[in-house]
Amino acid sequence: MTEPTGPADYAIEERRRSFWRNLSPVWLVPILAIAVSLVIAWQAYSERGVEVEISFPNAAGVVAGETTIRYRDVAIGTVEKVGFSEGLSEVRVTARIDKEVAPYLDEDAAFWVVRPEVSARGITGLNTVLSGVYIEGDWDGTPGAAKVRFEGLERAPLTRPGRPGTKITLRTEDARQISAGAPILFRGIEVGVLEAPRLTLNGNSIVVDGFIDAPHDRRLDTATRFWDASGFSVSFGAGGLSLDVDSLSSLVSGGLVFDSIYEGGEPIGPGYVFEIYPDEATARRTAFARAIADPVSLSVAFTESVDGLLPGADVRYGGLRVGQVGSISARIEEGRGGPAVQLVAKLDIDPVLLGLSGSAGKEGSYDFFENAVAHGLRARLATESLLSGSLVVELAEVPDAARAAFDRTSEPYPTLPSAPSNLPDFTATAEGVLERINELPIEEVLEQAVRTMRSIEAFAADDGLREVPGAAAALIGEARALVADPETRAIPGEIRAAVAELRGVVAGLEESRAVERLSAALESADLVARNLAEASGQVPALVEELRAVAAKANSLPAEDLMAAATRLLDSADALIGTEGARDLPPALAGALAEIRTTLAALNAGDVVANANATMESARDAADSVAAAAEGLPALSARLEALVARSEALIGAYGDRSSFNSETLSALREIKDAARAVSQLARALERNPNSIILGR
Amino acid sequence: MQAHGLEDALGTPRLLTARDAGLLGCRACGRVSAAGTGACARCGARLASRDPTSLQRVWAWWLAGLIAYIPANLYPMLLTSRFGHVRENTIIGGALDLAHHGDYGVAAIVFAASVLIPVGKFLAIAYLALSLKLPTALGRHGRHRLHEVVEFIGRWSMIDVFVVAILSALVQFGFAATINPGIAAATFALSVAFTMLSAQSFDPRLIWDAEERDSR
Repeated sequence: MTEPTGPADYAIEERRRSFWRNLSPVWLVPILAIAVSLVIAWQAYSERGVEVEISFPNAAGVVAGETTIRYRDVAIGTVEKVGFSEGLSEVRVTARIDKEVAPYLDEDAAFWVVRPEVSARGITGLNTVLSGVYIEGDWDGTPGAAKVRFEGLERAPLTRPGRPGTKITLRTEDARQISAGAPILFRGIEVGVLEAPRLTLNGNSIVVDGFIDAPHDRRLDTATRFWDASGFSVSFGAGGLSLDVDSLSSLVSGGLVFDSIYEGGEPIGPGYVFEIYPDEATARRTAFARAIADPVSLSVAFTESVDGLLPGADVRYGGLRVGQVGSISARIEEGRGGPAVQLVAKLDIDPVLLGLSGSAGKEGSYDFFENAVAHGLRARLATESLLSGSLVVELAEVPDAARAAFDRTSEPYPTLPSAPSNLPDFTATAEGVLERINELPIEEVLEQAVRTMRSIEAFAADDGLREVPGAAAALIGEARALVADPETRAIPGEIRAAVAELRGVVAGLEESRAVERLSAALESADLVARNLAEASGQVPALVEELRAVAAKANSLPAEDLMAAATRLLDSADALIGTEGARDLPPALAGALAEIRTTLAALNAGDVVANANATMESARDAADSVAAAAEGLPALSARLEALVARSEALIGAYGDRSSFNSETLSALREIKDAARAVSQLARALERNPNSIILGR
Repeated sequence: MQAHGLEDALGTPRLLTARDAGLLGCRACGRVSAAGTGACARCGARLASRDPTSLQRVWAWWLAGLIAYIPANLYPMLLTSRFGHVRENTIIGGALDLAHHGDYGVAAIVFAASVLIPVGKFLAIAYLALSLKLPTALGRHGRHRLHEVVEFIGRWSMIDVFVVAILSALVQFGFAATINPGIAAATFALSVAFTMLSAQSFDPRLIWDAEERDSR
């Protein structure tokens, strides 16, 4: 069979497709995956944080890979490694911090581990109980020279960097009431916080850094005083029981209060150190006092008991505080009579308070003391106040002091010679006070006063005296009635009328002496004429007489008389009408009653009894004496007024009055009494304590 | 090429392949069509005697799966937050943790599902793809079996992703305890998906071709 069965096979060569056309689009997927991976890898690498190292004393709870680094409670990094520094002295935590934050990590950056913490101010970091600790960082908002190695803090700083406000330094000598984190209060509002107190290098004082928040730090100036607000104070005084409690927080953890104690403080400069005062009263009292910045230390050996001298007691020079007692110790000194104990007080003198310029330095101060000692300056004990019993050291010039020199070579401090105190028996002072009170002639004074009062009372109670004004009034009343009587007043008028009539008669007579009438009359009758002639013979004499009478009547100073009489009566009336004169007996009685009350008060005050009773009540006695004495000036004034009035009365009555001598003597006694009382009152006024203190 | 011979030169009986018979099977529904037909008359699937881009796609998906598998192992799979304390677990870390706590069974399952199966799959697919070009020890039957196993078991890798999804959905107790999926969960899921696509892209008929070529 050669017949072909079909068409011959021919090789079908498919067209070779190009490599690229042949490519499956699926290849895009791995390419995309690679691209994405690369992008992510690059991103991760480029955004990788900056590695920093933080050293901690211990790193309790810090776990590599888990513990976060936070800034303002936002996680900004993670701890990558927890290791140790060389020598295993510290834990070195390696962490990565976000790139954006890293530039801000400069010199002021601080890191600390946040752990749950229970303190007097409350509980902090409670969230870390469950979530684990984290490392908190804080720094200000300005980038600086980047740093990668940091020293971690043991605890959170109280004042975060970048917080607006003012950092202050405070100085104190007792930090018992100050703990780290204690609040600073201003009028009861917490405006700041205290750091942990630390000792100064020389151990003299304690320095505390504080921080006052921004709006309130404007109040800081040189007039600002800080005082301890911790705890509460109980004072028992004349005002009763007073309990002063500050905020509960400061009660537990201590705290300070500040305020400006006077106006016009100057702004504080850097490095200004505030003093912490124990309480507000001290702070305000020592407004202008200053802490001893650079004391000159001296030692003084006392041979007498220093009981009552405490460290911190004042050192005074002429009453002015120039320093304080630093410490008191005892040492054995070889004396003539064998070893003797000497009590040595260290004095810290502020040369500036002594008037020495600060630039003179210690040597300058020593020079001053050397010179002063040569001129008799000695240190001696003195009482701070009589009742407190505490002592101060007084630098005084003792003229007759035994020769001594300022020993500037002695160790540890130059020695200032001491002088015996001028309180010979200090412990007996209390008894001395009582003795002095006993010696006061209070009883005599009171007795005399009582006696005087009694005589005044007797005088005032005298019926005669009581009647005097009544009688005088009656007399004057009568006189007035007489003067005021119309008849009396009519007298001059009548006299005048009579004189006028007489004149008329005389004139008539003179007129009727006309010859015609006389001739006519003579013509009518001889008898008549005779009679007439007889009569006319007498008429001239009568007329003359009448004339004289009239002239006399005319010349009489009737008006003056009346005026004088009226004046006299008026003045008498005025005298009688004076309140004082009218009320004389009641006023006297009242004054006496008052005097008596005062005396009774004096007696009731139990001055003497009280004073005798106890030393403790001596002050009370003084108080009541003073209170009683307050009434004395008034009393004496009243007595004096009374005396003046009485004198006026006596003057008005003149010397003639029968009771005059009696009254005068009585008044003299009143006067004396008043003077005595006023003297006593004045003496008490001048020095109320004189009764107590005897000086 | 002895295309029409029913017996080969060695006298061993030689099967007539569909290709030789000019026929084309649909991979989707199985209908046999004449060679050259573009689409299946029944299901409409594209018909090809051999998928020319199969190998390319296999390798492409395989590579994508491998790339996704790297972050799946480096990044955390689970973010367990207990009382504000966040713990991150990678796949292997989680398995080791479980083993450390004595849950060896669970640890083994997790390890098998998350490490052994994906890695085995990568190796198996690579082996199958390479075997088309290079001589292999495994016969074509064995390779077909291997392909079937890979296709079947590949989906079980997703068990890890499901565990994460279920835990994330169930354990949401706020502050007390919260589980969140990490980046690795997503990349792992992608990786599994890519390898499954890779296995699917493999045209097993190529094994026959390779066999034939080898046998010549």
